[in-house]
Amino acid sequence: MTQGQTSAIDLTLGDLARLEEVVDREALSDVCRSFFELFGLSIRVLSKDGTLLADVHQEREICQYVNRLPAGAAACARTVAQVKTATPDGAPVLLPCFTGGRYRVEPIRYQGRQVGRFVIGPYLPAETRAVPRSLLEIDPGVVDDDALRALAEMPRVRPETAGRLAAHFRKVVDLLLFSSHRAHLTSEMHVASVREGYRELAEKTANLQQAYNRLKELDKLKSNFLATVSHELRTPLTSIIGYSEMLEAGIAGDLAGEQREFVETIRRKGDHLLALITSLLDLSKLEQGALRLQREPLSPKALLDEIVTTFMPRAREKSVSISVDAADDLPAVDGDPVRLRQVLSNLADNAMKFTPEGGSIMLRAVETDLVGGEDGEMGMVLMAAARPAIRFEVADSGAGMKQEELTRIFDAFYQVDGSSTREHGGAGLGLSIVKRLVNAHEGEIHVTSEVDVGTTFSVTLPAVETDL
Amino acid sequence: MQLDFTARELTVKLVYYGPALSGKTTNLQAIHKLVHADASGRLMTLETRDDRTLFFDLLPLSFQAGAGLSVRLKLFTVPGQVIHDATRRLVLQGADGVVFVADSQRAETRANQRAFLNMKENLRENGMQPERVPLVIQFNKRDLPDIRTDDEIDALSQKSPEPVYKAIATRGTGVVETFLGLMDRTWLHLEKEHGLEQKFDLEPSRFLKEVRHRLGFTRRGES
Ligand SMILES: Nc1nc2c(ncn2[C@@H]2O[C@H](COP(=O)(O)OP(=O)(O)OP(=O)(O)O)[C@@H](O)[C@H]2O)c(=O)[nH]1
Ligand SMILES: Nc1ncnc2c1ncn2[C@@H]1O[C@H](COP(=O)(O)OP(=O)(O)OP(=O)(O)O)[C@@H](O)[C@H]1O
Ligand SMILES: [Mg+2]
Ligand SMILES: [Mg+2]
Repeated sequence: MTQGQTSAIDLTLGDLARLEEVVDREALSDVCRSFFELFGLSIRVLSKDGTLLADVHQEREICQYVNRLPAGAAACARTVAQVKTATPDGAPVLLPCFTGGRYRVEPIRYQGRQVGRFVIGPYLPAETRAVPRSLLEIDPGVVDDDALRALAEMPRVRPETAGRLAAHFRKVVDLLLFSSHRAHLTSEMHVASVREGYRELAEKTANLQQAYNRLKELDKLKSNFLATVSHELRTPLTSIIGYSEMLEAGIAGDLAGEQREFVETIRRKGDHLLALITSLLDLSKLEQGALRLQREPLSPKALLDEIVTTFMPRAREKSVSISVDAADDLPAVDGDPVRLRQVLSNLADNAMKFTPEGGSIMLRAVETDLVGGEDGEMGMVLMAAARPAIRFEVADSGAGMKQEELTRIFDAFYQVDGSSTREHGGAGLGLSIVKRLVNAHEGEIHVTSEVDVGTTFSVTLPAVETDL
Repeated sequence: MQLDFTARELTVKLVYYGPALSGKTTNLQAIHKLVHADASGRLMTLETRDDRTLFFDLLPLSFQAGAGLSVRLKLFTVPGQVIHDATRRLVLQGADGVVFVADSQRAETRANQRAFLNMKENLRENGMQPERVPLVIQFNKRDLPDIRTDDEIDALSQKSPEPVYKAIATRGTGVVETFLGLMDRTWLHLEKEHGLEQKFDLEPSRFLKEVRHRLGFTRRGES
């Protein structure tokens, strides 16, 4: 189940693939040499597949001695082969030699895996006094005294000491492995990070270019269409309105009673139609997602003050009071100025329409939080955290609505009842546009209302964050 | 996950993700301190600058899980700083489970959210479905002032699909619980995906007991 490995390191798991490709042989040999110098013991390090990675040894006298005898040489070769292929599984393996010597083969484990082994020896168990039978019997040429003299030169080690020496060597090798592994991982990671960074950049650039080209094309098509429609509808309509205005003004001669009335109706309906076409175009732009917000930090109070200034003349005419309640030092709202003005004017326009003489309209802005994240959604404990926001309120003391109407008024063309439509005009598009604009800002809109008491629309929009 | 059937060896990759300075490295350090020495390798830190992770930290754990199964766990941290996104994505590759370490401080709320979205994005980039990756969330630094309250977190975790833990990583509090929580989720997920129970004749609850035992966490997180 390993992935195609050309590299010595598996980056995904940070694993060491093969000991020999990571560990610095020079350093390993140095360690072995100093081990040999300190304790006089031969030592060899092998990789998992048996490749010799480091080897510091001295041919013992007894070895030279037996190798001069034919049967001795053969037996020696067998022992060496055995030592070379011994694979300790977890615990160390002790291999006896017919000379009485001993080899200790220890596993090298790294990050939970066996990656190689090392061999210490041969050495004589400390208690050895005489030439063992196995040596005497191996070849008829073995002479007791000569063998004993040769054996005397062999280092003697007590079992506990052998264990301690092996443990020490294991620790040193582990440390060596660890630092080599880390150095390798670091450099591989370095290269991989740079490559990944480059790949990402190249991909993003290509995507951007593609998206840009497509958008440019779409944009051209769409704005062509909208411009055409808007031009084709509006040009004749503007003429109709213009001519009826001229007629009304008496430019083509005075008009008699009913004539004047009819012309006025034509002009009024023309104005409505023009407003309707403008709203429809707006809505279709929103629906096609052609709306691109140009967000900037905006002062909530300044926005509301502007709306009041616009509506003041109508309010005076209708004897409705209109006022602003907002602190000067509210955090800035993060929005598109043109679109937010559109949202607030639409709400103020409704309030104005549906509030009778003597009523009042209040525009408010307060600091609040926007809470996102839906129940049961991944990471909702994090995402549901509140972020700073501004809540705008447009409250009126007007006609109000029944509860069941409140969900429907945001639908395009919906108006509460026919009679009010006739009285107030409008196409029923204002709120559906408002809602889309608010959504485009990742904001929320709510309404509360009571019949004959009044209505409050509240729009919550993200504030500009200061911790950015 | 890497499964070597002949060697009866299973390697599982767990990644600690989160915004910069939320305490990912501290989590690994705490585990390293608390875990059985026999089961733990050295904590490897790849390149740090001013104590900020540049590449990753890696804590290897390994133990025999019974039924002759040898288990290796590789715990990684990603670098949290925004600029190291490519590295984060690399480290996230092949993750079997993720701990999201969030900073409890109120001022870090947005940073947590951004890092979480970034994690989802990077999982997707790596061809994984975020919703299918075993995940637990840790609110770290509970000892600091001006943090999101217990009540707030408790109320939200009721509705949260993933387990939520609270921790003070610098004191080692909650760190093991978080890790074991992820281990549970990850094993159950791997078991479902690969039928490990059948392959290794190892029942999930027994495996998880074994993990606790071998790592020296027997008395913890057995809720
Ligand atoms: N008070 C407090 N400090 C913590 C806690 N956990 C971590 N810290 C501190 O937060 C700082 C950052 O911790 P790290 O673990 O290095 O953060 P990291 O997530 O690895 O950061 P990057 O590597 O930059 O992504 C250190 O100074 C930690 O001591 C905690 O529970 N409480
Ligand atoms: N402040 C309000 N008080 C009472 N009713 C309201 C108020 N605002 C909206 N409504 C009801 O909701 C309906 C839909 O409003 P909307 O703004 O979408 O359309 P409109 O104002 O009728 O037309 P348009 O805005 O397109 O000129 C209104 O016709 C009205 O019945
Ligand atoms: Mg309206
Ligand atoms: Mg770190």
